[in-house]
Amino acid sequence: MATVITPKPASSTIVGSPINIPQKKYKMVTENVNVYYGNFLAVKNISIKFPEKSVTALIGPSGCGKTTFLRCLNRMHDMTKSARVEGKVMIDDIDLYDKSIDPIYHRRKVGMVFQKPNPFPTMSIYDNVVAGVRLNGVRDKKILDEIVEDSLKMAYLWNEVKDDLKKPAIELSGGQQQRVCIARALAIQPEVLLMDEPASALDPIATQKIEETITELKNDYCIIIITHNMQQAVRVSDYTGFMYLGDLIEFRETRKLFTDPKNELTAKYVQGHFG
Amino acid sequence: MFRSNVKNRLLVDKIMMGVVFACVITAITPLLWILGTLFYGGAEALSWEFLTQEPGAVGGGIPPAIGPAIQGTLIIIGLSSILGIPIGVMSGIYLAEFGGSWFSKQIRFFTDVFMEFPSIVLGVVAFLAIVLVLGHFSVWAGAFALSLIMFPIIARATEEALKMVPWSIREAGTALGLRKWIVTLRIVIPAAKNGIITGILLSVSRVGGETAPLIMTILGSSQFFGGLDSPMDALPLRIWRFSLQPYDEARLAGWGAALVLVITILAIHIGVRYWFIHRRKSMGMSPRFSKVGV
Amino acid sequence: MTRLIDPSLDKLSRLMSQMGDMAMECVSLAVDSYLEGKGTGGRVRELSTEITTKYFEVEDLTFDMLLKYQPVADDFRLIRSSTEISYAFSRFGRYAYDITQVRHLFGDISECKNDSLFEAAKKVKHMIRDAVLSFAELDVRKAVKIQEDEAFIDRMYKERLPKLIESKNTKCALAEALLLRYLERIGDHAVFMSDAINYIVTGKHRPTQEQISSHISKN
Repeated sequence: MATVITPKPASSTIVGSPINIPQKKYKMVTENVNVYYGNFLAVKNISIKFPEKSVTALIGPSGCGKTTFLRCLNRMHDMTKSARVEGKVMIDDIDLYDKSIDPIYHRRKVGMVFQKPNPFPTMSIYDNVVAGVRLNGVRDKKILDEIVEDSLKMAYLWNEVKDDLKKPAIELSGGQQQRVCIARALAIQPEVLLMDEPASALDPIATQKIEETITELKNDYCIIIITHNMQQAVRVSDYTGFMYLGDLIEFRETRKLFTDPKNELTAKYVQGHFG
Repeated sequence: MFRSNVKNRLLVDKIMMGVVFACVITAITPLLWILGTLFYGGAEALSWEFLTQEPGAVGGGIPPAIGPAIQGTLIIIGLSSILGIPIGVMSGIYLAEFGGSWFSKQIRFFTDVFMEFPSIVLGVVAFLAIVLVLGHFSVWAGAFALSLIMFPIIARATEEALKMVPWSIREAGTALGLRKWIVTLRIVIPAAKNGIITGILLSVSRVGGETAPLIMTILGSSQFFGGLDSPMDALPLRIWRFSLQPYDEARLAGWGAALVLVITILAIHIGVRYWFIHRRKSMGMSPRFSKVGV
Repeated sequence: MTRLIDPSLDKLSRLMSQMGDMAMECVSLAVDSYLEGKGTGGRVRELSTEITTKYFEVEDLTFDMLLKYQPVADDFRLIRSSTEISYAFSRFGRYAYDITQVRHLFGDISECKNDSLFEAAKKVKHMIRDAVLSFAELDVRKAVKIQEDEAFIDRMYKERLPKLIESKNTKCALAEALLLRYLERIGDHAVFMSDAINYIVTGKHRPTQEQISSHISKN
């Protein structure tokens, strides 16, 4: 559970997580997730319930384990030999780490957008967006065309690129490339969207567009976003979790966490006393 | 102070530019000189008959033709490629994508050592393994020897090209829920395409000019291709043979053959590269984004 | 580690403490002038004007900080409450001035004093002192006392006012009515102030009824 750091009389309550939000369904639930890199315990016993159709922000200083934790949620650690994950990650009551299920099939339920835009360099915009779908066997051009249009519209990029879909994706600007990556992640129709500092490599206008996109997407998706930008977390997220050195220190509704954090460490971090 | 020695630094800059330029000239000059000599020495020998007929008896006054030799070179390069490229590329893929295990470390070491083998030794290997076993010289043996030369070059070039593809591309593919072999085949390899092609071209140029292994395997012949089980001629062999004969017309034929060989290799290079640049341009990609190698 | 926002926070705290001191002095002088007939009108007016000037300064400063630093958590609550508290200070100054004006307008009212007024006046002076100290130390326990005192003044206000209708001395009745009114208003703002201080410390907008009733029942 969350650890309590040096409490003072006025604000010392232990912040429990998971919090229970009445009448809301949880899309993704993690239970006692631990991640080891070799012998080093990078993520310590994290249990969170992510509600559906909402945005949850994960904040914390560099190296606190946010990215490591995020990557558990779609089994990206399978790519790393030295990483070992314990615990459960459940989407709609199916544990992704259960031995009996096919991880690749279920990984398609979780889309991921990375910090640095990474469109496939040899492919056009069109090919990039449908990559996840086409390379999984869908060939029908009509269906693919539809998917491209829908995904690019959801990513707020359709109007800018609709006349030139055959253009190589890497010729777009940074913000546009990132939205191509978002469209590509959405094209496989995931149920959860993971975003690792999606706007940190972008200029302010592009950042604004990404935030607008996220705000729209939350009507349909459960979105989990890592951000270093406190104000972005306030603007965009409904719930926020603060992590420090692998622990989950506090997890609450965003507004409450940022106006009245219960844990002193959280208060110090969000006010910029360290990190 | 920084300002006072600006003049000095500009002077040093100019001197260094001059030195570098001189080195480039020094490096290119022999190359151009060789091409010029070849042209000068061999252009005279070129004629339709020269290029398409069998050599026939020596001593007639006209340069012996190199028809079979040209044919042989093309066949041997083709056959070696069919043997060497797939194995080389697949080894490269294995080393790059599935490497890290003890087994792949051994493979890599083995490949590196192989690359340094003198080609004549590989010729001897092919001689022992195929020629002696079958009892006669054959094209198979030659193709086998040359593919041994090609394989490590292609494997290493492929591995390096694949390693140059950023890890983030693989992550993106994996995050889309694609299986590893699809990510490798449909996403990573196309991105490494240019480097792989370059590796293949390098190996083709290398074996196009190999002589020693061919001596012991295809032996050489005065006739056109007579079946994969028989000896065959090739340009390097023919050039060597010509150079040993005392007749003037043989020497002239040698120059001509050498010129043809260089032009053939050049043509393969330029052709393959042009095909890729041309294709990329028509896809709308600007040369700015060209990847490794090309 | 000094953050960008820290110098501005220091400036805010200085302004607020100056305002607090001035408000205390102001209200004390005004009440005493009424009860003891001293002529403190000039000084009170001076103080009141200065408090208002500082109030505008505080407003500018807080909005400036919001614009520049986008504060969160403790900083945010402090800045947000500062607007309410500085407004309360400016009101104290204003009502203090109004009290001195009663004497000024009505002339000599030395025969109008009575015990209940004394008590009310004393309570108000305590309230203001409690409020200012509570803010300076960010101590919410005083909030409960302030609420009690305000309740007392409220009660007195409601009791005395109807009785004044039957008073034979019109001048004194009117003077007392006005004074009670101003004291009651000062009390209200003191309570708003204590709510704001409570928000800074606890993040909640009002001390709970339980806290109040449990405190009262203890005494």
